[in-house]
Amino acid sequence: MISYFVRRFLLIVPTFLGITLITFIILQVVPGGPLEMELMKLRGMGAPGGEVGPTGTGTSGAINIPESALEEMKRFYGFDLPIHERYIRWLGNLLSFDLGRSYVYAEPVWDVITQRFPVSIYFGLIGFILSYAICVPLGVMKAVKNGSVFDFTSSVIVFAGYAMPGFAFGAIMLVLFGGGSFWDVFPLGGFRSDDFEYLSFSQQILDQLYHTVLPVAAYLTGSFATLTILTKNSVIENLSQDYVKTAFAKGISEKKVIFKHALRNSLIPIATGLGHFLSLVLAGSFLIEKVFNIDGMGLLGFNSIIQRDYPTVMGILVISSFLMLIGNIISDMLYAVIDPRIRFK
Amino acid sequence: MAEKELTSKPENTNESKEISTSVLMKRWKKFKTLKRGYYSFLVILFFYLLSFAFPLLINKDALIVHYEGEYYFPVFQFYDAKTFGQDRPGETNYRILKQEFSNQDGDNWVLMPLYPYSPNENLLEEIPGIPPHPPTMQNFAGTDDRGRDVFARLMYGFNISISFALVVTMFSYILGVVIGAILGFFGGKIDIFGQRLIEIWSTLPFLYVIIIISSLVQPNFILLTVILTLFGWIGITYYIRGEFYREKAREYVSAAVSMGAKNRTIILKHILPNSLVPIISFAPFAIVGNISSLVALDFLGFGLPPPTPSWGQLMDQGLQNINNWWLVTFPLIALFLTLLCIVFIGEAIREAFDPKVYSRLR
Repeated sequence: MISYFVRRFLLIVPTFLGITLITFIILQVVPGGPLEMELMKLRGMGAPGGEVGPTGTGTSGAINIPESALEEMKRFYGFDLPIHERYIRWLGNLLSFDLGRSYVYAEPVWDVITQRFPVSIYFGLIGFILSYAICVPLGVMKAVKNGSVFDFTSSVIVFAGYAMPGFAFGAIMLVLFGGGSFWDVFPLGGFRSDDFEYLSFSQQILDQLYHTVLPVAAYLTGSFATLTILTKNSVIENLSQDYVKTAFAKGISEKKVIFKHALRNSLIPIATGLGHFLSLVLAGSFLIEKVFNIDGMGLLGFNSIIQRDYPTVMGILVISSFLMLIGNIISDMLYAVIDPRIRFK
Repeated sequence: MAEKELTSKPENTNESKEISTSVLMKRWKKFKTLKRGYYSFLVILFFYLLSFAFPLLINKDALIVHYEGEYYFPVFQFYDAKTFGQDRPGETNYRILKQEFSNQDGDNWVLMPLYPYSPNENLLEEIPGIPPHPPTMQNFAGTDDRGRDVFARLMYGFNISISFALVVTMFSYILGVVIGAILGFFGGKIDIFGQRLIEIWSTLPFLYVIIIISSLVQPNFILLTVILTLFGWIGITYYIRGEFYREKAREYVSAAVSMGAKNRTIILKHILPNSLVPIISFAPFAIVGNISSLVALDFLGFGLPPPTPSWGQLMDQGLQNINNWWLVTFPLIALFLTLLCIVFIGEAIREAFDPKVYSRLR
């Protein structure tokens, strides 16, 4: 089994190379990159700049960028080298933990990204913990009372949750409670109020909570349905197993059979999902972060794509795909640890 | 030998067809008993078919114009304003024309569609003030930031969303089944190599990559279909590969091999029909996923090009100023009801296809 996991860890390397290579090629080959964007900006600014210029002689139309400046810009963006050399150079820098400098923020990409870690982790973790704290008990209840009124009514909520994308739920919440045409209960978004530092401690907590409720509700809708149904199905399947029948036949009370015997086995597939908490903290949230204007990893990724900040785009890709690969392996490890019947070869 | 094959073949196929249709019929009957899913299916089917007739129901062009003793059918043919003596450049405005005719009190009349507004037509001429306008009796759902009728856009958006999701799901299924079948059937080196490629492909953060591509090239319906298909086939491949691995060890496959059947025949005629069950019951959820993806992309501004009527794009407008609540609320209701119906269908199909019956002591 150890050799299996060693092999899995070694396989991260080619997979990782493949992921970065694909994205790198897409970024570099498709037109409209940072160089073109910068040139466009320069040309666009040329006209109004000429009109209000100190000499008063407006230069009309596009300005010509001198050859030397063009070469300079190409070197700045790294476009003076052929694509494979660029990739190898980028990879070499990565090995020394250098993700390059952001074009937009003029800071090392690593710093730009880590600055946003706390915000993303804060929302990701709260959403993650709450979803498990709500969905697992709910799923168990639904399984135990399968077919009852409770099961039916909660199913409606579960289906509704499945049919409602998280960001869309966030959007309607903002419209209802964000102080537009209806109630003014919660702030329009952001991570904290602007005057957060000047508030007293209790006010700070309250302020943070105010800003947390709606985004976390949006995060929860995303995973609510799948996790609840997963739990329910897993418990139901275990309740129909022979060992449960045996336990009943021995005369153990229903409560004990369910919670002591069936539940422990039912939680196996759910526990393995815990391995992905690493990437949950970072991934899949840019829609919600955009709705609530939270300056986390997701919004950073989105903005860096729009602004053609390629080093940041690649940096986020590196970190999120790395966490995902590690998360996959941790999931499998958890599987093996929790369920001794499972043997990986 | 050759004769034997010829004679045995039709029998085989006939038999397998009979069995599969009867099984399908059984499942269809079971599906019909699950009322929630069955009625959702009828509702969605009805509205989707109806949505192809929207040009006759929701349109700014009149169905029939009776003018100076002659009949015109503007829905099917373009007439400029001068045809009907309207004093304006370009297109005829049939809503105004209708009013003019009824004011004239003559023999002329206009028959408008049920909802006389088009999704891409701006109404600034008729509704004064700065768009977006709140809902009124004429425009149920108000107008968007360019003064276009939101209700008409929602309805046309329904057709586009469902069509898009169906097309993407179909192509993802074809691609996923082909790749999964090849990996599962041949196994060995092809499988190991393919699995690596799939792992790379599936670890790519797909929405992120789609945004990268769409931000660089303005996507259209076809390009967006291709992109979403390229990332949508992976889940299906896992299922099919697993099914093929399991099925190819069964006796009927060995029998087919020993009778000298070609690989292609075994894959297509023998194993494939037996391994489609899990992915059929998965299909409605794939459609839900694809609709959500389209709405998300439209919301971010990387979806179908303007002026395509789209739900996500309306939501984006609504969020830029949350006082325009109708721009968020109505698309959301449309999206929610559509997805809910499809989820109900999916749940019913899953139940109809699931042979497992759980029983437990109490």
